[in-house]
Parts: sequence; C-alpha cells; structure tokens
Amino acid sequence: MNNYSVIGKDIPRVDGREKATGAAIYTDDIKLPGMLHGKLLRSPVPHARIRSIDVSKARRLPGVKCVITGEDTPKIKYGNWRLFPATQDEYPLAVDKVRFIGDEIAAVAAVDPDTAAEALELIVVDYEELPPVFDVLASVRKNASIIHETSPSNISVDRKIAYGDIKKGFAESDYVREDIFTVHPVSPAYLEPCSSLAQCDQDGRITLWTSTQTPYIVQCLLASTMGMRENDIRVIKPNVGGGFGGKMELRPWEFCAAFMAKLTGKPVKFTLTREEELTTGRRRHPMRLKSKVGFKKDGTLMAKDLHIYLDGGAYNAMGPTATFLCGNFGAMLYRYPNYRFIGQHVYTNKPPASAMRGFGAPQSLFAAESQMNMAAEELGIDPIDLRIKNAMVTGDTIPDVATISSCGFIESLEAVREMSNWKRNRKKNKKGYGIGIGCYSFISGGVFNWFNTQYPFSAAEVKVFSDGTAHLLTMASDIGQGANTVLKQILAEELGLKMEDIRLTAADTAMTPQADLGTWGSRVTLMAGNAIKDAARQIKDVLFGAVSSHFDLNVIFDLECKAGRIQATGKPERGMAFGEAVAMVQKTNRGIPVTAKGYYTPRGKGLVTPAFSFGAQVAEVDVDQETGVVQVKKMYTAHDCGTVINPMAVEGQLEGSIHMGLGYALSEELVMKDGKTLSNTFLDYKLPTAMDMPPGESVSIETYEPEGPMGAKEAGEGLASPTAPAIAEAVYNATGYRCKDLPITPEKILKK
Amino acid sequence: MKRSGFDYYAPESISEAVVLLSDLGENTFVMAGGTDLLIRKRHGMIFPDAVVALKKIKGLDRISVGPKKGLVIGATALLADVAAHKGIQNKYPAISDAAKNTANVQIRNMGTVVGNLCNASPSADNAPALLALGATLSIAGPQGDRTLALEDFFLGPGLTALKPAEIVIAATVPPPPANSGAAYVHLSARGKVDCSAVCIGAHIELQGRKVNNARLFVGACAPIPMRTPRAEKTVMRKVFTEKLAEKAGAAASEEALPITDVRATQDYRNSMVAVMTKRALLLAHKRARS
Repeated sequence: MNNYSVIGKDIPRVDGREKATGAAIYTDDIKLPGMLHGKLLRSPVPHARIRSIDVSKARRLPGVKCVITGEDTPKIKYGNWRLFPATQDEYPLAVDKVRFIGDEIAAVAAVDPDTAAEALELIVVDYEELPPVFDVLASVRKNASIIHETSPSNISVDRKIAYGDIKKGFAESDYVREDIFTVHPVSPAYLEPCSSLAQCDQDGRITLWTSTQTPYIVQCLLASTMGMRENDIRVIKPNVGGGFGGKMELRPWEFCAAFMAKLTGKPVKFTLTREEELTTGRRRHPMRLKSKVGFKKDGTLMAKDLHIYLDGGAYNAMGPTATFLCGNFGAMLYRYPNYRFIGQHVYTNKPPASAMRGFGAPQSLFAAESQMNMAAEELGIDPIDLRIKNAMVTGDTIPDVATISSCGFIESLEAVREMSNWKRNRKKNKKGYGIGIGCYSFISGGVFNWFNTQYPFSAAEVKVFSDGTAHLLTMASDIGQGANTVLKQILAEELGLKMEDIRLTAADTAMTPQADLGTWGSRVTLMAGNAIKDAARQIKDVLFGAVSSHFDLNVIFDLECKAGRIQATGKPERGMAFGEAVAMVQKTNRGIPVTAKGYYTPRGKGLVTPAFSFGAQVAEVDVDQETGVVQVKKMYTAHDCGTVINPMAVEGQLEGSIHMGLGYALSEELVMKDGKTLSNTFLDYKLPTAMDMPPGESVSIETYEPEGPMGAKEAGEGLASPTAPAIAEAVYNATGYRCKDLPITPEKILKK
Repeated sequence: MKRSGFDYYAPESISEAVVLLSDLGENTFVMAGGTDLLIRKRHGMIFPDAVVALKKIKGLDRISVGPKKGLVIGATALLADVAAHKGIQNKYPAISDAAKNTANVQIRNMGTVVGNLCNASPSADNAPALLALGATLSIAGPQGDRTLALEDFFLGPGLTALKPAEIVIAATVPPPPANSGAAYVHLSARGKVDCSAVCIGAHIELQGRKVNNARLFVGACAPIPMRTPRAEKTVMRKVFTEKLAEKAGAAASEEALPITDVRATQDYRNSMVAVMTKRALLLAHKRARS
C-alpha cells in the first residue's frame, strides 16, 4: 500500500535555496517608509516595587518619537493559559513591580536604534528593592519574599498524576532507590533574535510582522492586551530563524511595536540583541527532581514516586504545560504499574523559563533514564535488557491520561544495541572510553486546550485550478523545522501532483483559514497534515465524482489521483488530467472555483497527545583523564516516528537534536550571579559548534500511527531528550563519575 | 552616552597614521581587523569619536621568515595567514598553532595576530607562544620608532605600554636556536571553538639531554599573560623527563594567579596549569629533539 510518489522521499527544503543564498526575508529585513526603531528599558534589579518613572528627559532627546511605560498602557494581563485566567500573570510593561533582571519597564521608539538606546539611559526609575529569591527551595520556604501577590506560596501551578497503589508497589519491590537530580536552564539560542514590526492603518487596524511560532496566539493576546477586536489585528509570520519553544507567546516587544505604531501612526520595529536574548530570554526550565523507583529482583518495575519543582522564574509563561508534561514523561517509556507524580511550578526572581524543545521531557527523562542506568547496574542487569523487559508496547495506557496507539520502542532498543556493538563495547576496557544509553518518548501535538481556542486545532484550505496546480493555505508555521516542505508533500501525495504544482500561503492570520495553534509540541505534521488530508479528501470527492460520471464508471470502481491525473485506479485510459477534471467540475458549477476547507482537532485521545514517538540512543565518549574533557566520539540512534514523510528532513532534525543534547549535557550553561545572567554572548554561552559534532549512525523504525497523516508522528523534538542521559551514562562508564546535576563539566569529573 | 557614529580614517602609510593619531582626540582607536574593537563598541564598552584603520597601509600585512631576522609578522597580517604559513609551520609551529587556535574561521579571516596582542586580553591565544619565543615589537610613534620586548608590553587587562599615538608595526621573533623547541597548548573545557581557559607557551633549548634554557608563559590565569620562573627553574640544567615536566607543571600551578569566571573556576584553572604546562613541555621537548 505504501506506493507513494512524494512521501518517504528525500525532498529538499522548499525554502532551502533562498535561505542558503541569503535571499530569504526575515522580520528584521523588512523596512517600511518612516519606520521607527524601538528599544526596551529593562530592570537592573531582580525584585522591586517601582516608586516612579521619569521619562521626561528621554522624551526630549532629539529623534525620540514615543516613550511609554506600563502607566500608558491598558494594563491588561496576558498569558497562554487562557483557559485558566489566574495563570495569566504578565503585563506587556511592568505595572508597579519588577520581578527579574530584564523585566520590561518602558519602551522608546526613535528615528534610529542608537537614538533609542541613548534615550533609554535618560529614563530615571526609582526602585524600592525587595528581597529576591533565586532558588526553588528558598522560594517555597515559609516567609519567603512573595513574588506575585496572587500566589502567596510562590507556587503557581500544582499538578498531580496518580494511578495504581505506590505504597503497595514499593512494599512489593525487592530493590528501591531514591535520587535527587537537578538540571540547569539552557537557552533556545535560535539564530534569529526576536523581531517584530507593526503598522497601523488609518482605521486603526494593526498589521504585525513578527518572528513567532504562534501567529494565532499572538493575534488573540495582542487584541486582548490592546483592548482591540481580534479581527482588527493581522499577524504575519515571515521566515523565522528557529524558535525551539522560545517564540510561542505574546511578548512585550510585539505589544510595544503595535501600541506605539498606533500612538505614532508610524511603523515601529523592535529587534532584540543576542545579549537580551541570552540574559532575559525564555529558557528551558531548571528543575529539581526527586525520584523513587522500585523493582523486583528480576528487573520488573513496580512503582515510581516522582516529585518535581520547576523553577519557573518570574512568570508562568508556558510553565503550566511543562509542569503537566514532565509528569507525563516520568510515566512514559516503561510500564510503571503504580505511579505518582507531583509537580510544582515555583516562581523565582529570574528570567522566566518556558517551552523549549522537549517541553519537560529532557529534564524528566534525564532523571528517569539516569536512574534506570543506576538501577541496572545495582540489579546486575544489562541496561538495555532492563529496558526491554519493562518497555511500553502498542496498546499500553497511562490511565486517564494517554493511550499508546503505536510504539516501536523495543525495536529501537534492539537496533541501537546492534548498531553500537553494545555487548562488546560495554566490556571494552580502554582508559577513558565509555558507552551509555538514553531513551525517549514524545508527543505529536497537545490535546489539552489550554489556550481555550474556539477554532479547530488546525485548518487547511485547498484551492485547485484548471492549469493542474493547487494552492494550499494554512496558518501552520514553518519556523525552520521544514513544515512548509512536509505539508506540501502531504498535499502533493494526496492530489497526485508534483511539489512544484503547489503554491503555499502560510501563517497570515488574515489570509489563512482559522486557525492553527502554532508550532510547538511537535504538532504540525500530525495536526496540519490531517487538516490538509481532510481538505484534499473533499477535493478528491468532487473530482472523482466528475470523472466517474464522465467515464460512466461502475460505482464499485476505486479512483485515484496519480501523476497529475484523476483516473480509475490503475487505469489511466479511464481518466483525465487533474486540471481537466477541475475545469469540468467548475463548468458544472457555473464557474465557481473548486476549493475545500479541512480541519483537525484531536478528540477521544486522552489529555496529552494523539500519538507518541519512541527511540533509543547510544553515546560513545572519550574522557581525557587529566583534564576531564569529554569528547563524544559517536552517537547511534534508532527512533520510531511512524511513517517517515521526508527522510532527509528527519535526518536534519536528528542532527539538530544531537547538537542541542550535546550542549545540554556538556557545554551550555547560563551562569548566574544574584539573578543576573553572566553568559551574555555566544563567546561565553557555549553552543557546540560544527567542530564539536560527533559522527553518528541512525535508523528509523517505521511503525504506522493510525492517528497520523499517512501514519506519521513527531520526529523533531523527542530526540532532544536521550542525548544527555546517554552521554552521562557513557561518562560514568568511562570514569565512574555519575552526573546527577547537569551539566557534566570537566571539573565535576575530576572531583568525583 | 552618544552611541551613533564615529569618524573613520584609513591612512595609506604608517606616518600618515601616526599624524592622524596625534591630531585626533584621545578618544581615537586603532583598528586592524576590528574583531575586538567593533564588538567592544557594540557592547557599549567604548564610544569612539574616531577610528584609524590600518588595513589600507601597503605591506603592513607582511609575513617573512629569514635566517637572520627571524620571523616578522606585520601588524595587519591575518590570523588565518599566519596559521597557514608554511615557513611558520616549519620553523615556528608554536606560533602557527596559536594563530590556528584563535577564535573561529570567520574571525581568523578578519583578525590579526598583532591585534590580538594589542587587545591585551589575559587569555589572548597568541601571547604565550610569542612570549616564550622572546618576541619583540616594532613600534612607530610621534617620537620616532622604537623596539620593545613583548614581555614588557602587557600592563593589565586591555592595557599596554603603548604611548599616545603609537602603533605596533610588527612582531619579530628571533631565529630559533639550535636544539630548541617550542609549543603552544591550550584548554577550553567547553568545546573546540572557545576562548581558552588556560593556555601555555613553552620554549626549551637542549644541550644533550639536559635543558639549557626554558621560557614558560601562562595565559588566562593572571591579569596579563604571565611568566612562571619557578617552573622554568625546575627544569633548568636537568635531564628532561616526563616526571620533570610534571614537576614544572606543579611549580607553574603554584605561580599562576587565576580567578573564577564564567569559563572556569580558580581551582580547575590551577590544576590545569599543571597539566597543560607539562603537556607544553613534552611537546616542546619532542620538537627540540627532532
């Protein structure tokens, strides 16, 4: 049945050429006549009440056209969790209080960026400093400084998952261990810093070009914070240079650009600097994870009790989702017959953490996978055997939360075992050499409607033309991950057309069908793909009917779209060119164009996701015994992402994930002192470079996911999780140093 | 502070550059590759009124290796060119290693060895190797030309012995003595392209199996690239062994004055000075023997 012509092929990125040649237009490349440049004044103190702000000198500086503070704005709080308004805790510009170093206080728009920066220095803010808290344990203590009056305990979100009977589970265990893990914050470090440009028309309507993963969310929240109607705001996403979760909320500069464009009547652009991104930008949640697991002597998992403090920083951002998901991932991969999770999202006076590739999984799985490796050692069972013994399989459930509708986990484990020559290399006794394993599971989009959208989760409009082409309109957002390519592939396959026959218009809230929740949680291929399939099915129904009637086909005949034709299956002579069929249908309908809208909303799929991906990864390392420097020699990966729609794109995602996992494990660190982030440039925030990338081997374990388009599920995010625990285990195997507090540094290895 | 704009001059001769620097105000900066200067401006660390760029001066990017004069690296000779220079790789491998390790490809294609010295960062990659090899600097200025030992050049982070309106024209390294070898080794704990957390320049001369002369310098572990005389003394007039190199490393570690910063802690740097000094000596010794 897999007789695809476009799916499963190495189709190059549709935007590859323009990006490689520098022709691609990003938000900061857009220049409008009379455009002003904005800059933000940020708090230099971690926690304070604002007594007063004096902007008079800044306003008088020649070239300055507009200066605003929180007092000038409608003072409406926002946040992505609209379903629970109490979680919406941010103002576009500070009102009364600042809560982290970098909190936005005021904005200036001027004729050029230098003048705007100069004006910031002329703004005088009088702070009444409050005691700050920088760590979760200090923050949850009684009498700790309260960061938001609405959360006197400093815990903003509580989440519990429980099933089975953990007491009984532990009582029946032969071996129980409890560990505390801490994981550090890392920056999404997308190459394109955030940028937004707003224009206000004479009717007061706003157009916002912005570097975002979620145009629809920005549209809605911008409308509510500005006190405007949603339809009076148009959000356009140009090319985006990466997001990794860091660009999925309304952000202050988006508000300020729009608000100041309205005030001045001129277009206003904000582009953040790398320093702003690293010191104040969204980051992956640091967490403190206390995990207790119980096993039978033979390795059978009996129970798990997991408590996680998420260090949310000063605001909730996407923290509620991370709180939910880290508990879900704690229960994934293996069959835990008895499980309890308590997650607490804690405010601290640090830059807010939010979504970042993996969304709670890298942290939770670092702990779970490390603990699995420790348990394997103490139980005297090979780590891969122990995993296979407890591995989830198709049909398994997390009670009340999720059902695993396809699962290639055991196959993945077996594949990496073979690829990496595990059995032999585990016994290898070469100084400094180590080999270790880590695994993952991940979601293919979220089910829980925290945004409280009234629209379907994804939508697609397909228009077909008598010249044999199609136009796909979708609000799905390509942020560099390759969605535009994959979505075109899905439509091309459905309609029997070629990639170049399809025109795509995407991510413009005024032009593309309502709605799409955006790019996060690895939802796009599955959700937008299903919406496209829905639209394509309607188009096919119409074209098939016309062709069937034209050739007087027996009703039992199947029809197909193939090689640019609509025909009786396998009978090209009983069919016609795609464009001819379109023309015929159009004639029958007195000229009305042939179009269809398709939608997808996951239903009856539990609370988490319609589909889970799975995979296993093995790392080989070489550790310099004198310096403690870790060199990752090779990574082996086997993963189940359902049907592979584009192998080359999946390979790219895999390499990018390893790159990110490598940084998470070994080199990336936001060094902080008294609430201030010191690693403020790429000189000191160490992203691995191409020189640091290890070679790798990988294999896709193809399963068929019934809920995914053509059987596909996620491929780009889950893989961010296994790398760190695999490297940590390899380092332990090489040196005896067991990392329970990321990152692994040479110093920690030498001190062991 | 005024952030926008500065006057840009690109003189075509050294004398013209010196006159410009004398005439322009104090807040004037000399630029070779600009890879440090322009970043400092962007970070609001400096607000130049004027910049005098040297890259238009013909011949200033000269690199020459001669039997008598030794190695001359002109002020605008690129890091990439020094790293790739066959003559340097043959006779002064420590210097090409240092240049090759500086920053990344893009910066090596813009930045210069002499600029790296004049920026006077304690972690400058090119300083320890050049110091170990006894480099001198040729300086042009309003009071005429002068020569200064590189060892007397660094005064503190970002501070040098240059007087107002003076420009470093070239760095000169004497021809290596017979039976000598030099090495540059560095350590970044966080990946292959990084600012060094510890870097070592070593030079030794052998007489038979004994060490006749040694010069050892440590970078990134003091306000300036520093010499470690006690470590040098440890190896002097002794038969070179790995054990001896280890002892020298331990001595260097006691002499170094590192701090804790975002790149490494004081403790780690201290122990790495020992390891890296040993490794530099081993490599220098290997080169001296071959």
